[in-house]
Amino acid sequence: MRSLLTLLCATLASAASLNIAILPSLHLPNPSLLPPSTHAVLIGPPGVRYDAALRRDNTLKFEALPEASYLLTIYSRDHFFPPLRVDVSKVTDGAEQQTIEAWQTFRGNEWSNKGSPYGSGTDALSIQIQASAQKEFYQTRGGFDMLGFLKSPMILMGLVSVVFIFGLPYIMDNMDPEMKQEFEEMQKKGPLTGSQGAATQMQNFDVAGWLAGKK
Amino acid sequence: MRVPWIAATFFLARSALAVFADEAWNVDYHYALLGLPKQSTSFFHQPNPSSRASLIYTLSEEGVLGAVNPRDGSVVWRQLLLSEALAYNVSFLRAGEGQDTVISGIGSQVAAWSAADGRQAWILDTAGPLQDVEILELSDGRETAGAKDAIALSGGEHPAVVRIDGTSGAIKWQYQWDGVDQPYQVSASTTEVFAILLHKTLLGYVKLKVVSLDPVTGRKTDEHVVSSENELASAETIVSVGANSASPIVAWTNSAHSVLKVNILGTKEISSFNIEAHDSHAVERVEIHAPYHTNSLSHFLVHYETATSHWADVFHIDLKNSKIEKAYSLPKMTGKGAFSTGTSDANVFFTRVTRDQVMTVSSASHGVLGRWAVAGFGVAAGPGESVEPVHAVSEVSIKGTSVSAVRSAVLLSTGDWVLLRDGSPVWNRPEVLASTVSATFAIPAEVQEFVQQLEAEAHGNPISAYIHRVTRHLQDLQKLPAIMASLPQRIVQGFLGTSADGGIASDSFGFHQIIACATRDGRLVALDAGNPDKVLWNQQVADLQLGQTWQPSVSSPEGGIIEINSKASAGVRYNASTGEQLFSILPIDETAGEVALPVKYAIHKGELDATVDTKMAWHFTPMSGERIVSLVPRPVNDPVASIGKVLGDRRVLYKYLDPNLALLVTANDVTKAATFYVLNTISGAILYSNVHSGVDLGSPISSMLSENWFAYSFTAEASANSPKGHQLVAGELFESLVANDRGPLSASANYSSMQTGTEPFTLAQTYQIPEPISHMAVTRTRQGITSRQLLAVLADSSAIVGIPYGVIDPRRPVSRDPTKDEQMEGLVRYSPVLDFDPKWYLNHQREIVGIKDVVTSPALLESTSLVFAYGLDVFGTRLSPSFSFDVLGKDFNKFQMLATVAALAVATFVVAPLVARKQVNARWQFA
Repeated sequence: MRSLLTLLCATLASAASLNIAILPSLHLPNPSLLPPSTHAVLIGPPGVRYDAALRRDNTLKFEALPEASYLLTIYSRDHFFPPLRVDVSKVTDGAEQQTIEAWQTFRGNEWSNKGSPYGSGTDALSIQIQASAQKEFYQTRGGFDMLGFLKSPMILMGLVSVVFIFGLPYIMDNMDPEMKQEFEEMQKKGPLTGSQGAATQMQNFDVAGWLAGKK
Repeated sequence: MRVPWIAATFFLARSALAVFADEAWNVDYHYALLGLPKQSTSFFHQPNPSSRASLIYTLSEEGVLGAVNPRDGSVVWRQLLLSEALAYNVSFLRAGEGQDTVISGIGSQVAAWSAADGRQAWILDTAGPLQDVEILELSDGRETAGAKDAIALSGGEHPAVVRIDGTSGAIKWQYQWDGVDQPYQVSASTTEVFAILLHKTLLGYVKLKVVSLDPVTGRKTDEHVVSSENELASAETIVSVGANSASPIVAWTNSAHSVLKVNILGTKEISSFNIEAHDSHAVERVEIHAPYHTNSLSHFLVHYETATSHWADVFHIDLKNSKIEKAYSLPKMTGKGAFSTGTSDANVFFTRVTRDQVMTVSSASHGVLGRWAVAGFGVAAGPGESVEPVHAVSEVSIKGTSVSAVRSAVLLSTGDWVLLRDGSPVWNRPEVLASTVSATFAIPAEVQEFVQQLEAEAHGNPISAYIHRVTRHLQDLQKLPAIMASLPQRIVQGFLGTSADGGIASDSFGFHQIIACATRDGRLVALDAGNPDKVLWNQQVADLQLGQTWQPSVSSPEGGIIEINSKASAGVRYNASTGEQLFSILPIDETAGEVALPVKYAIHKGELDATVDTKMAWHFTPMSGERIVSLVPRPVNDPVASIGKVLGDRRVLYKYLDPNLALLVTANDVTKAATFYVLNTISGAILYSNVHSGVDLGSPISSMLSENWFAYSFTAEASANSPKGHQLVAGELFESLVANDRGPLSASANYSSMQTGTEPFTLAQTYQIPEPISHMAVTRTRQGITSRQLLAVLADSSAIVGIPYGVIDPRRPVSRDPTKDEQMEGLVRYSPVLDFDPKWYLNHQREIVGIKDVVTSPALLESTSLVFAYGLDVFGTRLSPSFSFDVLGKDFNKFQMLATVAALAVATFVVAPLVARKQVNARWQFA
């Protein structure tokens, strides 16, 4: 019995363990509110998969990891976590111990493309991780927005023309007679209006005469 | 890091199809199920020792651990402890008195979970499969200050008893024994730990051996055999091994269930009681109900059951001289009954639930403290089926000396878990649906009947059709008063936009389809997709023995009818609306045999064989070392609206449309390679194939084929040219890759699927996805005009995502920006990383666990597809992959429209006199 126990202890001692602590962050101010379904998955070589449930102290623990290169993904209902690469390898000089290292990794990039290191340790590694984004599930409908409606150029143009149509005669009526006369004079002298204005000339243009070569 | 987020924002900017905030929680429905609870692993427990509010905990037959709020039946938390559900799994769930954790044992894992929120406290792997888990309740001050320790008994090659620290989950001591004795159970009193082992005798009988252990050191203090030589033929007649009571007992009966023998653990005396037969039926089941607290009175109840009736005896244990005496009996009642224990301080109460009453007695005397009549359990049952309680757990509230209230969570024979408060049902959970193995959509029988009447009128001679129509209208007139009565309500609901889409009969959009689910224990349960809060009907359709399984497949061959096919019975039909079994002779289609011979194909001995009229048509043998993983044919009802894809410049790319396509997946376990073939199922030709190496064959490989495209996903190891992770491959088959050209088909006027020589041109593209897809399905609409969505079940996120086809379109331009024409088509530049936008999650914030299959059905509206997912949870929703173009959505504000009309009317009335005056003035006034 004792031999088995010591054997068990020996295997436990030589296998690496990984402890991931979830820290509060901007997206997740209180990790204690994470749902209990939050879990982490380590995917090793084909057929090797470890799953760890979230603990009461906001950590995820993996025990007795054999030597391999793992992809670590944390799944949570409301938050995204960055994927990590975790390598467990034999210490080059020591016979019993293992090195465990963690880096950020990028999906769609080659496996050797490692990001910033999260830490390394001998036999045991504790790393800290933060949620990278919150999941936004719902799309809000573009409801009716009065301000946005008024801001649209078509409505603005319409409103301006309405002001001109209704407002201008009213202003004209309320002007004192001298101003009105002055205004009318000004209108006549304007480049477009009046007997010498461009618009009047265009209207009075003698097309037939011009075609006939009349000077 | 930046790359995925650029991709994500890029997709967000496309305003992909999403769940709208006002439709979420309304359009979709979800039963968060646990599975059928087991008597031994269900109890009321206070998650917070300082408060009196308790939750119901259970570890179900599906291996799901969960806490249910007794007030409304909602799930507070759950943990899926078994990924693959095993019927009649061995599992344990214990909670120590005044503890804030519950301790589960399943497989070889013992774990402690926070009782309030379901977080894990610790987990321990024992060497062998668990035989028992108990909590050590020591009374003499040797108990640790923190959490109470657990003891576990594990079997396997090296059976052992271990004491586990309640706070850390570390092993405190371990006891192993030599010899061949099999571990059976473990039990503990306040001073000793008992391991009950089974010792096989030479004659094949078993003897009960009790080993007493010191709880502090784990050393053996005593060992003795309690049962005599040839008493027990097998372990099956051992009734119970109590634990955590003031004096744990072990009880067993002889194989005829005529003598009950009880031993108080730690003593050698055996008390023997005769089981009196109350009627001609033999006793079939004997059960013991005892309190689970060390400070409770040491009383227990023995429950006897025959085929038609049940009764119980209550026994008292005299602790001083270790004697067991029968105190009183509870009278025989017909039907099944459920007994449960409840405690208040030291007092023990037994609650009896029968089909028509709930009754509570004290363990001390037989006086009835409370009796409530049960009018009904409020669950749907089959015609003529009497709903019986199977087992129950109860919580008794005591005021003074009387029982003020009893809450019992009762599992019924219909598979519903019902809470009775003083005899009246408060909630019910249709846990039977957690074991759904096959499901289908069906059109309600009423709708189908109406269709048949219309058809009769259309095809009959004019006079009889006219008479038929008039009589039908006269019959409809009878419904007029009811319609008139409901009219004001309907108008108000219409204005307020709260119309709940009416009942099945008045379903103009086809949302009210009936979903029939066949469950593993032989029941058929029907839900209404448009009104999913209630089970329509629920009945036993297969009589299964304990441990027997069936593999039914449910389908709806025609409207209003549900058909079950299994190995035992071919084509039993049921009325979809009522569940009534239809007695029909097998339909024999005489014309089918003459015109077209079907090619039937099936996987047989690891090979794919196809036959035409009993003759071998073709034969697919996987390459040596390979095995067939899955075969997905194109759906039978898969309408396609257009035979081509219209390009941005109005030219057409022709789709390779063949109704006889199937996607076959084979795997090689040695080389870790997976091969995907698109086959023509008539000729057996391989139209496309692709091999992926370094595939993790342990993780799910899902595949799907629809229209002229296919998709599959797998998990791959890093290699020189591909990164480690999960991949989704989408492929599309075309007749030719040249626009406006049908390739070799354009020249031929006729087409035969037997002699076709044309091969499709296939485009395929691979995407890196963030998590494995365990199952795939595709949305279906009535005419196939609406674009399709790939429905992917994400087991790790407990979600289903609807991936729009445009996102995985293999024609997305690679390493260049799309041209103007491609932009017109909606194609965007290919990026290898595909992130699942949370807006694609059909389940949004709900967590849908254990989904094994997704079925889809077209609604009457072209825009809408009905989706139903089952496995453990049951989830359903309506999807509009191209938005709801043919129906006014929730964004249409009826009130705003009416307000606008009203404002215009008012404006007209106000302005009209002004205009009239102005016109008059214009004629009469001269400036």
